[in-house]
Amino acid sequence: MIPRRIKRLFHQMSLGDQSYRFLFEPGPADEVVVFDCETTGLSVAQDDIIAIAAVKVRGNRILASERFEAVARPDAKMNPEAIKVHRLLERDVEAGRRFMQIIPDFLHFVGGRPLVGYYLEFDVAMVDKYVKPLLGIELPNERIEISALYYDRKYGNAPAGTHVDLSFAHILRDLGLPALEQHDALNDAIMTAEMYVALRDLKARGVRISRERD
Amino acid sequence: MPKSFDANNPPFDRLTPREVEGLREAVDIGYYRPGEEIVGAEQDCEFLFVVIKGTVEERDGEELIALLGPKDSFDSRAIVQGRSAHAFRARDETLAYMVPKELTLRLIRDNPRFGSFFYLDISRKLEAAARDEDERNTGSLMRTRVRDLFLHPAAFIDAADTIETAGRRMRDVNSNTLLVRDGARVGIVTGMNLSKAVVLHKMPITAAIGPVAHFDVVGIEEEDFVFQALLEMTKSNKRRVAVRRGEQIVGILEDIDLLGFLAGNTQVIAGRIDRARSKADLVVAAREISDQVRVLRRQDVRAEVIAEIVSDLNRRLISKTFALLAPPDLRKRSCLVVMGSEGRSEQTIRTDQDNGLILAGPVDEAMLNGFRADFTAALEEFGFPPCPGNVMVRNPFWSKPLDDFVADFHRWAAAPDENAAMNVAIFYDAAAVSGRVDLLRKAKDALIESMRSEKVYLARFAYAVEAFETPIGLFNNLIATEGALDLKKGGIFPIVHGVRALALEHGLTETSTDDRIRKLGEANVLRAEFSRDLIESFHFLNGLRLDSQLAERAGQGALVKPAALTSAERDLLRDAFKIVKHFKEFLRRHYNFGMFG
Repeated sequence: MIPRRIKRLFHQMSLGDQSYRFLFEPGPADEVVVFDCETTGLSVAQDDIIAIAAVKVRGNRILASERFEAVARPDAKMNPEAIKVHRLLERDVEAGRRFMQIIPDFLHFVGGRPLVGYYLEFDVAMVDKYVKPLLGIELPNERIEISALYYDRKYGNAPAGTHVDLSFAHILRDLGLPALEQHDALNDAIMTAEMYVALRDLKARGVRISRERD
Repeated sequence: MPKSFDANNPPFDRLTPREVEGLREAVDIGYYRPGEEIVGAEQDCEFLFVVIKGTVEERDGEELIALLGPKDSFDSRAIVQGRSAHAFRARDETLAYMVPKELTLRLIRDNPRFGSFFYLDISRKLEAAARDEDERNTGSLMRTRVRDLFLHPAAFIDAADTIETAGRRMRDVNSNTLLVRDGARVGIVTGMNLSKAVVLHKMPITAAIGPVAHFDVVGIEEEDFVFQALLEMTKSNKRRVAVRRGEQIVGILEDIDLLGFLAGNTQVIAGRIDRARSKADLVVAAREISDQVRVLRRQDVRAEVIAEIVSDLNRRLISKTFALLAPPDLRKRSCLVVMGSEGRSEQTIRTDQDNGLILAGPVDEAMLNGFRADFTAALEEFGFPPCPGNVMVRNPFWSKPLDDFVADFHRWAAAPDENAAMNVAIFYDAAAVSGRVDLLRKAKDALIESMRSEKVYLARFAYAVEAFETPIGLFNNLIATEGALDLKKGGIFPIVHGVRALALEHGLTETSTDDRIRKLGEANVLRAEFSRDLIESFHFLNGLRLDSQLAERAGQGALVKPAALTSAERDLLRDAFKIVKHFKEFLRRHYNFGMFG
């Protein structure tokens, strides 16, 4: 596996459209972008993004008022199982643009800021599917995985054999955050952002999450 | 599509869907770590905060005013009036929506129903008052007239007078508002108007006051009811109205004083006590303190918090009375103390006054006697009923030199009768209110010293908890006598007194029962878990008693009818009495009550 840093340099050199150089420049200090996608299914190869939402976090403030939200028209047919999950019916997404048309706006919103998400790898892989044909590269941004932050605070010093639960609902409950209606891209992004500011502060203060309640 | 901001939560439920949409577009979310200040006192506040998760402390100086939880919003007063009187601090990890101030103000302006919430939830308060049957008979809110409120003096100035003259006059009359006479018209000018004229509009301080004043003055009659004044202010969107008696203007009513009367704003009362220049000023404040209890309880403030707030206000009042009535020489050479439930900060409804004066040494007898009579009479005038046991400054037994008190302590320890035990209990709960705190500390040290090693004395002292049965049976059934349960004899007294005995034995200097239990828990005299249970039971019993006192209006409110309680309350009451019973068993073993049997 190629270390991410080298991969990043490689990408910087092979960037197809130089007007996107800003992706490689450091974003404003202490800012990140939390994002979440809703997709037609769980296969990166076959499924498409149908909704994407992102919010910036500046310091300890979640800038919900400066959010990015878009609904896309999928190339792939929607998988009935996925419809159940996010309740976006085909006719809702009909009106949307193709994701290829949305992606430049998204990239400008994100800029060089680190990306934060829950099981981010999947969301980034989905976005990369569109970024590669456009720019010839994958998203170069630093990535912060919420489940990893949570694991560190909760199970970082746990004895072997401890039961580990990294589900979204569990993290939410454990951090005492109120559940918003899930599988709406913006709500998911906001809940993820709330997890992020809370976990980051626990880490900064060296506070661990008690395992007693489990 | 579902969105993150919950608009079902008052006052946002009063917004139209379009307004809610606009709100959602504009809110951010802030995260605050434990101890972090969200809004500082006297700071401009750029946001209305709505708690999502966590607990926020509302503080006045170091005093805790309220705890806010999810869905609570703050600080509406800062939004309406520009700055926050109180500080708001995150108690634990806290997330809050941040609604921009400009947007909130626009919504207040455009949506009268939303606005009324910010003008302190008028409808709710009026409704609550209307529901409160006996309120109408005895009357605070619905029956109080404008003339009973605190009014700023009607001080006049001529429109031709200068800004400088106006400023000096404001200082002289100790008010921020003046009436301006301009021929036949009368206007109002405020300190803020003056500042703006000079600072923002660069007017010289020699300019005439006329152009700075407002002449669209709204007037009310001093015989109007308070709620009429409130509606008038809301309708006209005025922060000050002129109060008339016939043709004459006799005072100015400011919204902040009105809100203070309505909303349980203890800060206003505290400020009024501090500013008081005469006994007459204090009479108003004293009545308002009493009114606070009901207002706060109606807002679901916990009884122990109410007791803390009311005690603080009472002590300010008593301290101010002392400052007004005691000659300087006496003040410098004495310590004024409150005792009994007042000393423990556990009195909400005024039952009696327990106070005393510790002197550093002998003082002029005539002067002392004059003060004794004046002081007790003043408190009586403020609505503190005289103490049936005569534990008052008026009684020379409770106002004398430190050495005489110390001599008493030795006598009380040597000849233990019921009176002596009662006196020890009363004095041990004393808290200093004004003057030389060191005198009380010395007295307490002497009291503790003469009692704490006397095991048998302490045992007899503690034995008083056995005087009354705790009304709970073997099978956890409540045992009502003539259909009623006595909360005080059955629960509150045994806790207060048993804890007092243990505290004395361990030489604690805390005065409140809560703090004493906590200390006893830390010292492992009581198990940590049991001390928590004991505190909770104590709070619950006090809350129930307060509600019963408020319903009963006068009297002790110690009797409750189990039938009048909800089933949840009965369950909690059973638990509380069970804890009291355990506590008495603990005392029985600890002090070996068997030997008195």
